[in-house]
Amino acid sequence: MSEVILHAEKIDKSFVGTHAIDHVTLDFYKGEIHALIGENGSGKSTFTSCLTGIYHKDSGTFTLLGKEVNAKNQVDGNYQGVAIIVQETGTLSGLTVAENIFLGKEDEFTKFHVKNTKAMNKKAQELLNSYGFDYIKATDIIDKYNFEDRKLIEIVKATYFKPQVLIVDETTTALGEKGRKELFKVMKDVKDDGRCVIFISHDLDEVLEQSDNVSVLRDGEYIDTVKSSDVTTDDLKKLMVGREMSGNYYRADYGEPISDEVVLRGEHLTVPGEIEDFSIELHKGEIIGIGGLSECGMHEVGKALFGASYDREGTVTTADGTQIKDIKTAIDHSIAYASKDRSTESLVINDTIQDNITLPSLEDIKRNHILHAKDERAFAEKYARQMSTKMVGVHQFMSALSGGNKQKVVLARWIGKNSDIIILDSPTRGIDIRVKADIYQMMDKMRKSGKSIIMISEEISELLGMADRIIIMKDGRQNGEFLRHEGLKDTDLIAKMV
Amino acid sequence: MDTEKKVKLSLMNQPLFRTVMPFAGFIFIVVLFAILTGGQLYTPGNLKLLLSQSYVLLIACVGVFMVMTMGGLDFSQGSMLGVCSVVICFLSNVNIVLAILCGVLTGGLIGIVNGFFNVKRKITSFIVTICNMYLLRGMVAYATTKSPVYGVSNITSYNTMGFNLTFTIVILLVAFAVFRYTGLGNRLKAIGAGETAARFAGVRVEKTKMLIYMAAGMITGLAAFINSIKVGSVTSTAGNQLETQIMIALVLGGMPVNGGAKVRFYNIILGALTYKILTAGLVMLGIEPKTQQLIMGIVFLVMVAVFADRETGMIVK
Amino acid sequence: MSNFKKFRQSHWYGLVMLAVITFVFWAFFKILAPQTFGDFNKLQTYLKTALYYAVGGCGLYFICVMGPFDMSVGANIVLSSVLAVNMSERFGYAGLLIAPLISGTLVGLLNGLVYIKLKISSLIVTAGLSLVYEALSIFATNGKEAILSPSYRAFGDYPGNLILALLAFFFCGFILKYTKIGTYTYAIGSNEVVAGNMGVNVDKYKVVAFVLCGFFVGIESILTISYGTSMTSASNLASMSRNFPPLMGTFFGLAFKKYGHPVIAIVVGEFIIQLLFQGFVALGAPTTVQNIVTGIVLLAIVTMTIKPVKGAVVK
Repeated sequence: MSEVILHAEKIDKSFVGTHAIDHVTLDFYKGEIHALIGENGSGKSTFTSCLTGIYHKDSGTFTLLGKEVNAKNQVDGNYQGVAIIVQETGTLSGLTVAENIFLGKEDEFTKFHVKNTKAMNKKAQELLNSYGFDYIKATDIIDKYNFEDRKLIEIVKATYFKPQVLIVDETTTALGEKGRKELFKVMKDVKDDGRCVIFISHDLDEVLEQSDNVSVLRDGEYIDTVKSSDVTTDDLKKLMVGREMSGNYYRADYGEPISDEVVLRGEHLTVPGEIEDFSIELHKGEIIGIGGLSECGMHEVGKALFGASYDREGTVTTADGTQIKDIKTAIDHSIAYASKDRSTESLVINDTIQDNITLPSLEDIKRNHILHAKDERAFAEKYARQMSTKMVGVHQFMSALSGGNKQKVVLARWIGKNSDIIILDSPTRGIDIRVKADIYQMMDKMRKSGKSIIMISEEISELLGMADRIIIMKDGRQNGEFLRHEGLKDTDLIAKMV
Repeated sequence: MDTEKKVKLSLMNQPLFRTVMPFAGFIFIVVLFAILTGGQLYTPGNLKLLLSQSYVLLIACVGVFMVMTMGGLDFSQGSMLGVCSVVICFLSNVNIVLAILCGVLTGGLIGIVNGFFNVKRKITSFIVTICNMYLLRGMVAYATTKSPVYGVSNITSYNTMGFNLTFTIVILLVAFAVFRYTGLGNRLKAIGAGETAARFAGVRVEKTKMLIYMAAGMITGLAAFINSIKVGSVTSTAGNQLETQIMIALVLGGMPVNGGAKVRFYNIILGALTYKILTAGLVMLGIEPKTQQLIMGIVFLVMVAVFADRETGMIVK
Repeated sequence: MSNFKKFRQSHWYGLVMLAVITFVFWAFFKILAPQTFGDFNKLQTYLKTALYYAVGGCGLYFICVMGPFDMSVGANIVLSSVLAVNMSERFGYAGLLIAPLISGTLVGLLNGLVYIKLKISSLIVTAGLSLVYEALSIFATNGKEAILSPSYRAFGDYPGNLILALLAFFFCGFILKYTKIGTYTYAIGSNEVVAGNMGVNVDKYKVVAFVLCGFFVGIESILTISYGTSMTSASNLASMSRNFPPLMGTFFGLAFKKYGHPVIAIVVGEFIIQLLFQGFVALGAPTTVQNIVTGIVLLAIVTMTIKPVKGAVVK
């Protein structure tokens, strides 16, 4: 192998409640395209964000060609030789194309505080032309261009100054055929120039096609680096999922008969841009797992069933024939929903534990139509304790709790509401092993007591371990269905996802 | 410097401190002016006067309090009071009950307009209500172009301390009961603290907001009644700057300007009384209006800074 | 058809639209009140008022693009105008010009610093500070009306006012287009977090925006006092009403931002508003209707420019 271009030494970063990357040490070489893969939450994006100054690492060092990289922000990172093209829109509307390309670098065109806009526009246009994007005009306001063109502009922005390391973070999912081709061309140019590309993608075929080496992260830890030419996508999947997740962790039984009684029926559900003609029947005492890649629309299914989607078509009906069209009706008919987005959708984060637990149950807590403070407190305490939430008291504010404890409060709320149908979206996302086990145990108990659960999850092992029935989605539609079965393998599910 | 700030912030996050502060402030002001005026401020005559000036503010604060709990602002109150007073005075010549009824309905209607633009058209409540403040002020001015609108000649006969006090206390009690014992308060606080999450917990956010804007208008209609019986007529300046007084009063009462979980009902009463004692005391001390306003402005800013509910990662516009 | 589409996307479209709106309003009132509205002389008078509001509108534009608000513009005008009169008595034209620029800028600086340091909604901060500025204006005048001496009124009429206003407009346009400040103003307005990631010092440029706003309001004060010749100090936030005329121009600027000529949009916008006001007056409506028109026009502009998004959190 050729020379090391970038050396990462024991990079570590924690967020409240999660250890996002755990002392990762990794080398990147000159003239390679190095892919970084792992499940959601494995820490790939956090790792590259720390390198480029979007986040600030807790400890560890990045060394680029012998010099330490310590970027304060993206532009600072650019000057130190690293650049990133991000998943989301990285361009700012309201600015011209040229202003976007040179944002933070205006000083290169500034003399005596006067910006030479003309020179900047000219330079930007030259760059655009050199990439072959001459139909994009540097002087236009960027809002005129569609998402794909704006990504192309970002590519120019991230590469024109020839960074030593270019990071492409899940950009391809947003691009069409043309955009991908352009992107891969640019990546190849960087590689041929003896520099390095770090490529993050969920599309494993694409990863093997484009990259020279692949490194795998799992739960924030570095697992292995392999040569792309030596492995298949199946090998990569195995590395990503890992094997140690088994044992008494999940429910133990296989193939208990499911009741015929349908408690919730969703028919021909369509949410524009998210899900397409999706139907589902949930039986009493059943756990349905819904899986797929992040953007397959499965997260919207939970919202659609809960009456929370806007512009939903199709019907959701409970056993007694009630149509669920809004959240209040859903809750009143014993449906509960815990969103993937815990801090803005599940929980009123700037409120107390008590208020969060009692909010949907206020009417139930009333005695003679009057809400007593004592009852509220007792109610909250009862269910918070039942979930063994770690807290000072129920008057503590949510924002001070860790991820796992926040999720416990969400569950305490719905157990308190005594809902019969529970929709859990990514219930164990970003939660440590012990709390995870608690949650699985609780789900099993609920199932046995006749409650029905829909669990939407990006973790395949969780789906295999907990669900009576697994529905795999792709591009907003159902793409496969599996019954609980001892011989069911993760690869069976993955085959239907991609 | 930085650590000092942190200590101060964490102190404010102590629920006890947050509770004690406004009370302490109130007592401080009461005592301060007792000493400075040599007890003059609290002679029965002066207390009566002070009280008679507080009714309108106390009542009008209730509506804005609820709007602010949800994280909104309502600057249209003063002009709204003017319009409602016009309606009440005009109709009092026909029938006094009809007058109250229509005054309250007018307030409710204006509230619905505020709500429509805020809830349905998604325009910041501040912009909506400030536009309406203008619009309504123009209406009051238009209605009183030639001469003030006079109420029925005996309208001021209702203006007794007994009636006003009972009227105000009943409104406050009803509002408190609804806020505290029906769960409305919990819902409003949840909306203020996290609207999306409140929606996902089953709060009908849009409906509640509309309802509150309407209720705030109706309550101001009631305040307009007190105002009408006190003055007996409406001029173009009726209710001028009431919205500012309400804002300052609520903040003095310990209300966080962005609403949310840390709102308490006593903010209204404590705030309105503190504000009135502060202004009356400053007047009695013979402090010039310009100095009074300077003091008021600085006190307001300090209190806002002290009681504001700052959350990490929040973008402040 | 495709030519029209191309035209719609070009920056000329915004300008043409503004011209058309102006003409429509003018024609409307001209037909209804041919005697009392809109001859060349009258249009010049309308423009005179529009000019100084537009200068303030330019200042507010920097703040409003970023997202915050400045409610102290009115108090700033009152304070700066009063100081201008005081200083003109001592230093002549130098006092008239320099005093409001300095006081306006200082007010802006204070607004910005308090807003950034306290991390409280800018509306509340600037409204609270308005009380302070108003009080200072009373201190400066002792409650008496401040009258500008007839010998210093060159900026109250053509060509003085036009020259000063044009200088202000060009300066505003220059900052927006030819300095970092302009770029960063839009960048912060578009997405504070991303802008911060790109190395933009968000807090610093927010303060800069407030300072610029104060500076332009200072110029507006020079024009206001020169044209109106007298100014009374304000109390109890009565000065708040002076916020809105400039704000309406700013809203025009924001609405036409995407066509790339905000300053022109602000000026023409103010002119359109004047046409509207004067039109109603020409039709015989009492001047009290002005407030109603202001309210409705503001609401209408905002309603037209803001597209309601389902589920968006709006306070």
